[in-house]
Amino acid sequence: MAKENQAALTIQEEFAKKIKAENRREKVIRWAPVLVLVALIIFFTIARGTAFASVSNLVAVLNQWSIPLLVALGLTFVIMLGSIDLSIDGTVGMAGSIASVLVMNTLNGNNFGIFGIIAAILCSVAVGFVIGLIHVKLKVPSFMVTFAFQNICIGIAYITYSGTPATVMDPLLKALPKASFLGIPFITWVALIMLALCIYIQEFTPFGRHIYAVGTDETIPRSVGINVDLVKIKVFTFAGFLFGVAGVVGMIRLGQGQAGIGKDLMFPAQAAVVIGGTSLAGGKGGVINTVVGTLIMTVLINGLTMMGVDPNIKTGIQGIIILVAVILTIKRGATVISK
Amino acid sequence: MKLRKITAITLAGAMAAATLGMTAMAADTDWKSFKIDPAQIPQEKLDTTISVACSIRGLENPYINTIKVGMEMFCEYLDSIGQKYEMQVLDSGGSNDTEINNMKQFAAKANGNAIAYSDPNESAICTSLVEAMAESGGYIGTAWNREEEDTVEDYNPNWVIHTSPDNVANGKAIASALFDQMGGKGQILVVEGMLGNTANNDRVKGLEEALAEYPDIEVAAQDTANWATADALTLVETWLNQYPDVGGIWCANDNMATGAMQALENAGLLGKVGVVGIDANNDVVDAIKAGNATATVSSNGYLQGGYTLAICYAAWAGLIDPEELPLEYREFATPATVITSENVDEYIASYIDATPEFDFSEIFWCKAD
Repeated sequence: MAKENQAALTIQEEFAKKIKAENRREKVIRWAPVLVLVALIIFFTIARGTAFASVSNLVAVLNQWSIPLLVALGLTFVIMLGSIDLSIDGTVGMAGSIASVLVMNTLNGNNFGIFGIIAAILCSVAVGFVIGLIHVKLKVPSFMVTFAFQNICIGIAYITYSGTPATVMDPLLKALPKASFLGIPFITWVALIMLALCIYIQEFTPFGRHIYAVGTDETIPRSVGINVDLVKIKVFTFAGFLFGVAGVVGMIRLGQGQAGIGKDLMFPAQAAVVIGGTSLAGGKGGVINTVVGTLIMTVLINGLTMMGVDPNIKTGIQGIIILVAVILTIKRGATVISK
Repeated sequence: MKLRKITAITLAGAMAAATLGMTAMAADTDWKSFKIDPAQIPQEKLDTTISVACSIRGLENPYINTIKVGMEMFCEYLDSIGQKYEMQVLDSGGSNDTEINNMKQFAAKANGNAIAYSDPNESAICTSLVEAMAESGGYIGTAWNREEEDTVEDYNPNWVIHTSPDNVANGKAIASALFDQMGGKGQILVVEGMLGNTANNDRVKGLEEALAEYPDIEVAAQDTANWATADALTLVETWLNQYPDVGGIWCANDNMATGAMQALENAGLLGKVGVVGIDANNDVVDAIKAGNATATVSSNGYLQGGYTLAICYAAWAGLIDPEELPLEYREFATPATVITSENVDEYIASYIDATPEFDFSEIFWCKAD
């Protein structure tokens, strides 16, 4: 009996030891993205000195960070489900284009102000809802539905201004790219408010916990009576909302509405989410990880531009650094890598 | 070879004089003033429905949109002479395969009674597009992109013309305008288009030629913004922290010039730093008028689209035989207008506030020299 007990203890101890080791490793991995970010900042500061580490460049980085952050926040929840959203380039461009032709602009006589902006965001919300609905009810992989909607939305964006992008004339909207509060640009505030909303949803609502549960193994929440389909539709709809906000912010930043606002946002956003440590398998990671991931991407591009790297090799260097960042930060040992 | 050419010119002149009753000079036809005479077009040609198309990258770019409008204007001309036609836009969406397939389907359907303007998505597919048309017996004119070794004479008579605005000259013209405004000295930022694109390479070459003539102008930074407004904004926004005393920004197109101006606006430098681009987008033209941009170039898409089709139409109707045209009337530069504060009012009055009018019967009016 005593012998048995001892054996059990040993197993228990061994288990505890293993858990401890895993926790330690987890801690390192958890902080790896932050270390990568700090390393990049130190490197660029040494290489470019006052130009990189200046207040004006900090403002530029915050400006450049805002749209990728908004987009990546929406994407984070989708990836936590274990799904993917490729619609970004389209929905963002569409929302920006629609907003630009509804507010005071050079193309037509509209002047709906804030209502025009709300309408544009609602269009993007509607697209997110329809994506979720088709994905869940018609059982089409999220990859395919969202890719189709990327094209549909780019098409809608083109139709809104048919060849000549509308320049924003609304005096308030024109002043916003220059506006700041406590030294932080207005558009960054928008992104930060959305970030706070996302943290709240993730940490303090049942919906946030359901996202993790569905992403980990959707049979479990289903068995306890959670409406998994509804969770998924809500996530895609909320992502649509954030993409819409990103589109409007993009229009404000550019002073013009065009499909190009969304161009090439998608893959950097995916990279940022993954570098931040959110698993493509779903169920792990979260909003804070994405903050770090998007900062890494923004600082990297800003710094490389300042370095004056030959444009012919810049994209390649960017790719190598992203690869290194992913290798350093991704959680290894998972049985399922992606789905 | 030369002898053959001369014979061809003489022959063409003689034929034109004989068949068209034109006032031709004895040996050398004055092609430049060649005019379509509707009375010379056989009634059966007029009664045949000709398919008219422009094959383009997509309508998201304001310049490309003017090519389509040029086609519509030319079709109005066809209406005026009683020609039956069908009009179509072949939109490739920036895909080589789509553009080739579009052209194949269009040519096959029309069964030889077709004319098309084509802006090949990339140089490499230019001859594939021409071949698709040549197989069906229709007539095509291409613009901007083709491989250096390609010549219209390889596909007689169906590849009627290849034209392009002179990218090197345009890149140089806007650079000179910018440098003059800066007083011939200072730092500039260079925003390139997609690396490797013919148009970008040639425009940058023009910039380099201008730089050689202005030794006190220094390139502070040079990078690509992929023809895109948002990319240019990010690029210039970053650079301005590093080079706050920059005197000018050279952009390879107007979409990027818009992004550069927005970055200047946010930094409170709009109007203090010169900006140049190419394409004559409305917002850049307005910026020139407001004193916020220095120069842009109009490649006149109306003219490119409309006149290319007019020349192809003359070939289809039998009024000209491409094989007899001298090469300089088949491969030539189309005119471009450099727009600066000096002529911006005139440009706005005739191209933005009004749609320009063209006489498409004078088909070679579109030749630059």
